[in-house]
Amino acid sequence: MRKTTAVIAALAVAVLAIIIAFDAFRSKPLESSFFSMNTLVTAEVEGGEAENCLAEIKSTLENLDYNILSRTAKGSAVYKLNQSGEALLDKQTAEYFSALADISRQSGGAFDFTLGAVSDLWDFGGTPSMPDEAELARALSHSGFEKISIGDSKISLNDKKAVIDFGASGKGIALDSIKACLEANETKRAVVSVGGSVLLYGEGEFAVGIRNPRGGSGSSIATLGITEGCVSTSGSYEQYFEQNGKRYHHIIDPETGYPVDNGLISVTVISESGLLSDALSTACFVLGIEEGSRLAEHYGAKVIFITEDNLIYTEDAVRDIITVTDKNYKFGG
Amino acid sequence: MKIKLFKKGDLFVIAAVIAAALAFYFIGRGGSTKPVAEISVDGVTVQTVDLSSVTGRVEITPNDEYNILIVAENGTIRFEHSDCEDKLCVSSGTLSESGDIAVCLPAKTVISVTGSELDAVVY
Repeated sequence: MRKTTAVIAALAVAVLAIIIAFDAFRSKPLESSFFSMNTLVTAEVEGGEAENCLAEIKSTLENLDYNILSRTAKGSAVYKLNQSGEALLDKQTAEYFSALADISRQSGGAFDFTLGAVSDLWDFGGTPSMPDEAELARALSHSGFEKISIGDSKISLNDKKAVIDFGASGKGIALDSIKACLEANETKRAVVSVGGSVLLYGEGEFAVGIRNPRGGSGSSIATLGITEGCVSTSGSYEQYFEQNGKRYHHIIDPETGYPVDNGLISVTVISESGLLSDALSTACFVLGIEEGSRLAEHYGAKVIFITEDNLIYTEDAVRDIITVTDKNYKFGG
Repeated sequence: MKIKLFKKGDLFVIAAVIAAALAFYFIGRGGSTKPVAEISVDGVTVQTVDLSSVTGRVEITPNDEYNILIVAENGTIRFEHSDCEDKLCVSSGTLSESGDIAVCLPAKTVISVTGSELDAVVY
């Protein structure tokens, strides 16, 4: 072999070794999946103290559930509130609850965390069935945002028969709490899903699929290309039962006590805040396309509505970042 | 005077090394798109099933503490039975594509098909 050929070959081999070594030592995300807050949590965390971060995420969610949001854990703020009519709150929790009360007011009661007694009658997640009409009317009379008072360190019930349930916003609060863990551990990039509500954190763009409302198994009908933020979906396909040939789903209209019946099957909200994305997805589902869009705009959030006839309604800014991947769905309006 | 930097032989060596580097890089990154179903119980993977190689009916009972039957059949996988109350896992239907997921919450059992190009699916 000529001398120059040998030198070039040696250089090329060195370059190859560097590429392989670089790929092997490149920072790779650490993954974890576990059950918490009665749902599946999956987390991919890259950079910083990733291992520590995952442990903190797990303990943060356990604390959030057992100390604040759980309706059954005896030490939780919500349990105490429902049992005795009041509960003490730390500053952060008081801020979360105040923000939710604000969404309740701004949505004209379409988002309502005092619907616990009504939800219990429907029993989605257990053995759901059509409730007795009179019982439903009685439970509904003890709901509404005026039934609670929230101060800097205390929440209390103005109606002792009201039942508080943060089921429609707990995942969002969880995402905001997780974001604090990611910041504290200098995470470079992370994707965390709490029961299908997703937090996207850090560098670069993320591809997020919107689940096919008719697919059942998780295939998506469209892909969002977004940077940091939270994305939540409320869908009538998640929990439902059929009785006398009619389907009843779990998103309850606080005005009637019955499942929302307005032609929507799925509403997705994108926001910087997990609490907003989660609570607004429910509120916008209840309100429908026009009023829901106005509410989302009020909070600086973006919303995507999917109707029973497979039409997608959203603002122009979202059309720029969404790719519809299922030919059965198309833009409406 | 014209100076020739590389000879034909040199170029051949460089091209071969670059091709090898690229091959290592992409194989190492898991370029395969074969749908593989992962079954996990309480966050621990208990079984993986290469769906492309499943032809007949394969029955899986992944959970010792909960009566669950998962069936892999002709490139698909599903919860066929669970003792849970709501049966949401069974109504999730058949999974076959990368990114598909079905969960039985009471049994803390998950079937997920790996290899999705998406960072997440919101539901």
